[in-house]
Amino acid sequence: MGDTPDLDLISDLPQSIIESILTRLPIVEAVRTSILSSKWRYRWATLTHLAFDEKCVTSTNDRTLVENKLINFITRALFLHQGPIHKFQLCTSFLTSCPDIDQWILFLSRKDIKELVLELDENEWIRVPSCLFNCKKLTRLELSRCELDPPSTFKGFSFLKSLKLYQVYVASDAIESVIISCPLLESLSLSYIDSLTLNIRSPNLKYLCLEGEFKDICLENTPLLIAMSVAMYMTEDIAEHMEQSSSCNFIKFLGGAPHLERLIGRIYFTKYLTVGDDPGRLPIKYINLKIIELYQVSFEDMKEILVVLRLITNSPNLKELQISSSSNTPAAMEATDLDFWEKECPSHCIFGRLKVVKMTEMSGVPHEMEFIKFLLENSPVLEVMSIAPCSFVTEGRLNMLIELVRFRRASPRAEILFIQN
Amino acid sequence: MLHVLESTEKELVPSSQSAMAVVKPEMKSYIWLQTADGSIQQVEEEVAMFCPMICREVIQTGTGSSKNYAISLPQRVNPAILGLILDYCRFHQVPGRSNKERKTFDEKFIRMDTKRLCELTSAADSLQLKPLVDLTSRALARIIEGKTPEEIRETFHLPDDLTEEEKLEPLRNITDDPRIRLLNRLYARKRKELKEREKLKNVEVEEERVDDRSVDDLLSFINGGDGDTKGTRTNKNKKKNRRRKDQSKDSCLNSVNGNHNEEMHDLHSTCHDGEGNNGLLASASTSSKLQDSAAVTFSSKLEFDDGDIDDDLDPAMKEELDREVEDFARRLNSVWPERMQELFEGRKLVPISLNGNSSMSRYTSLDQR
Repeated sequence: MGDTPDLDLISDLPQSIIESILTRLPIVEAVRTSILSSKWRYRWATLTHLAFDEKCVTSTNDRTLVENKLINFITRALFLHQGPIHKFQLCTSFLTSCPDIDQWILFLSRKDIKELVLELDENEWIRVPSCLFNCKKLTRLELSRCELDPPSTFKGFSFLKSLKLYQVYVASDAIESVIISCPLLESLSLSYIDSLTLNIRSPNLKYLCLEGEFKDICLENTPLLIAMSVAMYMTEDIAEHMEQSSSCNFIKFLGGAPHLERLIGRIYFTKYLTVGDDPGRLPIKYINLKIIELYQVSFEDMKEILVVLRLITNSPNLKELQISSSSNTPAAMEATDLDFWEKECPSHCIFGRLKVVKMTEMSGVPHEMEFIKFLLENSPVLEVMSIAPCSFVTEGRLNMLIELVRFRRASPRAEILFIQN
Repeated sequence: MLHVLESTEKELVPSSQSAMAVVKPEMKSYIWLQTADGSIQQVEEEVAMFCPMICREVIQTGTGSSKNYAISLPQRVNPAILGLILDYCRFHQVPGRSNKERKTFDEKFIRMDTKRLCELTSAADSLQLKPLVDLTSRALARIIEGKTPEEIRETFHLPDDLTEEEKLEPLRNITDDPRIRLLNRLYARKRKELKEREKLKNVEVEEERVDDRSVDDLLSFINGGDGDTKGTRTNKNKKKNRRRKDQSKDSCLNSVNGNHNEEMHDLHSTCHDGEGNNGLLASASTSSKLQDSAAVTFSSKLEFDDGDIDDDLDPAMKEELDREVEDFARRLNSVWPERMQELFEGRKLVPISLNGNSSMSRYTSLDQR
C-alpha cells in the first residue's frame, strides 16, 4: 500500500473501456470491484449491460435458498444501479414465478431498457406483467416460458427489431397484432408456441424462424424476407386440418418472399408445403435464393418431390443445395411413377449456378437416385456432389455406387464424394 | 491519399528515366508519425492507415506525408506502445488471412505484462482502433476474473483507500462475502466489550482516561437499555470530573469541545429527567448547537484496551479492528446530531451500518423512558 496515484494502472482509463471490461466479467465480480478503491466504488453501477444467472450466488443444494439469494442479489443490484440500463438478461432455472420479477420489469421500464432477455424455470411459467409493454425503447425482446397477454391498449413497440418467443403461451391474434404493430421488426423467431394460426404481416421482416406445431402460417406481407428457417412438427389434428385445407400452402408460405436468399426447412416442412392445390408454374422466381436446405424430405411422396422441384427450378441462382432424405421404407424401394421425372421436369431447366449439392441420409431408393441424376445432368458448373448414405443402409451401398457411376454429368469438374462416415 | 503517394514519388524518384524503372517497384509510401515525446518515425502507409485516427488525419488534414508534417499522436501513445500497435496493424491489415490465423496471432500478441496491457488499451482507444480495444479489454477482463480484491489491487497497483465501513456499505448482503459476516461479528463483540467495561469502571480510572469519557458517556447512552440507574450514576460521576477535565486539553479537543461537553450534559440530564416535552425542546436547541460544532469532537485516539479483545485474533486483524472502530467513532460523530434528534422525537433509528438487532432494541428502549 502507499502507491502513488500515477502508478495506478487502470483506474484512469476512459469509462467506455472500463465498462467494456466490466461487462465481460460475470456480474457478481463486476459488483465486487466496488471495494477495490475509492475510484472504483460506483463504477460498476453505471454499467448498461446487466446479465444475471444462478452463478451470481454461491450454490447450495437448497433450491429455495439459492432462489432467495438470487432474488436478493438482483434486487439490490438494481437498486444500487445508476443511469440507464440498455440490456438486461436473466437466464436461470432457479427462479420460479415470483412477484419480484414484476417489480424488476417495472424498474427496467423506467430505465430506457432496450434489450430484454428472460429465460426462467420451465415448471412455472411467469405471466409477463403489463409494464413490459410500456418499455417504449425496446429493440430486442427474448422471452422463454412465459405467458404473454398484451393489454388492449398496447400500440406496439416502435423500435423493436428482434422478437424471439420460446415456449410462450400466447394467443394467435395477440402475436399477430404484436408483429404488425412493430414496424421496424426485422427478426422474428417463434418456437414451440402451440397451435398457432398466423398471418404474418411485417413489412421490414428479414429473418424468420419458426419451430413447432403450427396450424396454419401465411406470410401475407413479408416482402423483404431474406432468410427463413422453419421446422414444422405434426400432430394428428394438424394433419387432419391439412388434409382438409385447399389453399395452397406453398404460395401462402413462399409466395410473398421474392427476395429470399436462404431457406431452411426441417421436419415436416416439405410435407407442409404440399398441402393444397399444386401451384403449377409459379409466377415468381426466387432470383436471390442461393442456399436451400431441406431435411426429412420423403422421396416416396410424389407431392413432396414436386415441391422440391418447383422450388429449385424457380431459383435460377441457386448455389448450394442440401437435401436430407427420410425415405427408408419398403414402399419407397419400389419403383413407381418413374415416368414422373420425364413428365414433370422442365427439359430446359438448367441450374446455372449450382456448385454444391449434399445429399444425406440416402437409402438409394429409386426416386432419390433419379433426383441425383436429374441434378447431375442439369448442373453445368457443379463442383461437389456429396452423398452420405443413411447408416441403416449397408447392403444397398454398392448398388448406389454402381448407379451413380453411370450418371451423366453436365459439369466436367464435378466431384462425387461418397461419404462412408 | 493519392497526393501522399504523388508527393513521395516526387521526393524519391531520381531524374533519370532508367533509374525510375528500377526504383518504382520497390517504392513504398510512408506516413510520418510523431509521439508525445517528440520522436518521429515513418511507417508503411497501409499499416498506419489501419488506425482510424491516423487515417482521418491523413485524409482530412493531409499531414503525415513528410517528416516536417508528421501526424501528432495522442499523448497516451508512447513509442514502445506505438511499436506494438503497428505490429498489430501490420499483421491484420493483410487481407488474405484466415480467421484462425488472426485469432492465433491475437492470442500471442496479448501476452504481455499488465502494465503494458493497460497502456496498450489506453493507446488503442485514443487511436480509435476498436478491434484492438476489444482484444485488450477481453484480456484485462480475463485478468480480473476470479481474483480476490487484494489480488486485483496488487495487479493494478490500486490504493486500498476505502475504509472498512465504506467497503461494507451499501453492499452488505449483496455479495455473500464471508468477510462481511466476520466484520459484523467483530462489531458485535466490540460493542459487548464496551458494555462490559462500563460496568467495571470507577472514578480513578476515568480520571486517567480523560479523552474517553465523552465517548463512554455516549456509548453508555446508546447501550443503556438496562442502564437507567447505571446511566445516572455514571452521569453524576462524569459531571464532577468533567469540570476538572475542562482544563486539560487534548490536541483534538478544543474549546468547542468544552461547549459540547456541557451540551452533552444537558442532553443527558434532560433525558434522564424523563421529561418528554422538555427533553424535546432542549434537544432542539442543543442539537443545532451540536451541528455547528460538527467538527471532530471525539478524540480519535480511542483507547480501548486491546488486551481484552479476543486472543484468537491475529495482530493484523486487531489492527484492522482498531481502524474500524476509529472509523466507527468518526462516523458516529458526524451523524450524531441527526441521531439525537431522532432519538428524542421517538422515531425509530436506522442503525448506521451495524447489524440491526442489538442496536435497534437499545434505541427503542431509550424512547420508552
